[in-house]
Amino acid sequence: MSTAPAPASLPERPMPTPTRESQPYWDGMREGRFMLQHCASCGKVRHYPRPVCPHCFSMESEFKEAPLGGAIHAWTVCHHPFNFFFKAQAPYIVALVDMDVGVRVNAPLRGVDAATLELGQKVRLQFEPVSKEVTLPFFVTV
Amino acid sequence: MAHALRERAAVSGIGETAYTRGTQKSGLALQLEASLKAIEDAGLSPRDIDGVVPYFPGGGIAEDFIANLGLPDLTLSLFVPMGGATCVAAIQSAAMAVATGVCKNVLISVGRTGYSGARVSTRLQQFPQFALAAEFEAPIGMFAPAQLYAQGARRHMELYGTTARHFAEVAVTTRQHAILNGNVVMSKPLTVEDHHASRMISDPFRLFDCSLESDGGAAIIVSAADRARDLKKPLVTIMGVAEGHPESPASIAQRPDLLDFGLVKAARRGYAMAGVGPKDIDVAEIYDCFTFTVIRQLEILGFCREGEGGPFVMDGRIGLGGELPINTHGGLLSQGHVVGLNHVIELTRQLRREAGKAQVKDAEVGLVTGYGDMGDGSLAILRRAA
Repeated sequence: MSTAPAPASLPERPMPTPTRESQPYWDGMREGRFMLQHCASCGKVRHYPRPVCPHCFSMESEFKEAPLGGAIHAWTVCHHPFNFFFKAQAPYIVALVDMDVGVRVNAPLRGVDAATLELGQKVRLQFEPVSKEVTLPFFVTV
Repeated sequence: MAHALRERAAVSGIGETAYTRGTQKSGLALQLEASLKAIEDAGLSPRDIDGVVPYFPGGGIAEDFIANLGLPDLTLSLFVPMGGATCVAAIQSAAMAVATGVCKNVLISVGRTGYSGARVSTRLQQFPQFALAAEFEAPIGMFAPAQLYAQGARRHMELYGTTARHFAEVAVTTRQHAILNGNVVMSKPLTVEDHHASRMISDPFRLFDCSLESDGGAAIIVSAADRARDLKKPLVTIMGVAEGHPESPASIAQRPDLLDFGLVKAARRGYAMAGVGPKDIDVAEIYDCFTFTVIRQLEILGFCREGEGGPFVMDGRIGLGGELPINTHGGLLSQGHVVGLNHVIELTRQLRREAGKAQVKDAEVGLVTGYGDMGDGSLAILRRAA
């Protein structure tokens, strides 16, 4: 585990590089909408975005806005900043959430003490713009 | 009917460098040094190697082996890109090659400067398998394996009551074994208190729950079993070997069951091929990127029931002299991190009865696992056939 001193200037946040498949998801984030890929043939939702539906093998898909509610499936509290950008935020909770729509989202969970967390606890997805192009999800408890 | 590959191949040679934190050598030099030792151990010449499966990415490729070892006629060059599951899964590919006559002697090797070169979160960005994590998780502060695997460990704790005390037992027992080995990075005793006092990395993983970042090289030779009988060392055959890939292989987050590793599939096939079960295993070298990963694999392998891996590791059961000695060399937690090829080497030593102070008495059949790349799994079951 690295204990090297932090560099003088902090690195920038690692940013997503959208693909042709995932671009609508990131466009949705920027607009404050949770957009998920659905198979145009069998209707099943899939995340993360990819070209082929693994259920019916259709290559046709459409993005639809999904509700923001979910329940905690697991979590971790990140103490060691593997990327020094996150050093100032550590320790921070990252919750893995079963979204009501049927996919999972991994995102920071804010405003709550990790010691009180339980599996199944209800949370809600929120949007945080971090640059002109990129908005990232985070969770709050409800 | 017996599986077509069962005992058709053998681990005929093993070699490793010193495991250190700090080296002047390149990863390639370490890989070649270990390779030459493995070739020597088998009683072969470098000219006898006609297949290579180097760990990838990082380290040498086929061209390097031809250029450095003067291989006259390489007939097979493969990558098995499964992260920590690579080395054991590569045994399956090598066994297929020697059993069919495509190759006579296949060299599986690793060389890495995991301490003095690029560290873990930098290195992983080379892996196409980590592209989804890089796009969706790195931006929110999750990328290193210690973070990605921590959520599964937390879930196991919440569902089954597994505790940090169980994790500590794996770390402490592994360290005790390392101290007997001699070629290890961590040679000082470790207590349960030391474990609990170590700094938190990504809850529930503390520093001593995490494997080492170290420098070193390791290599093995896989040869056809009928030819290996004439080589230098006692014959150790491959009874069963398998690789397995989990659902949602490139994203733990989207996996229906976070605790469903590729080993679930591989174990079923590996045991069936070997014709043995958990009760027949005398010694096990379990891929230990994290203490919890060992606990969960022991459940998957059928040494205990689902959710009972924590209590299973207690009371000396996994130590030398216990019911199931594991990681008798010190593993990735205390010996060194050469992506588990050191586990294969140690199991071979145990079955040759060359394991020194860590020798498991009368070891006849042993098991080794690989785990990596977000949950790919592999296992091999080896037998002393001398």
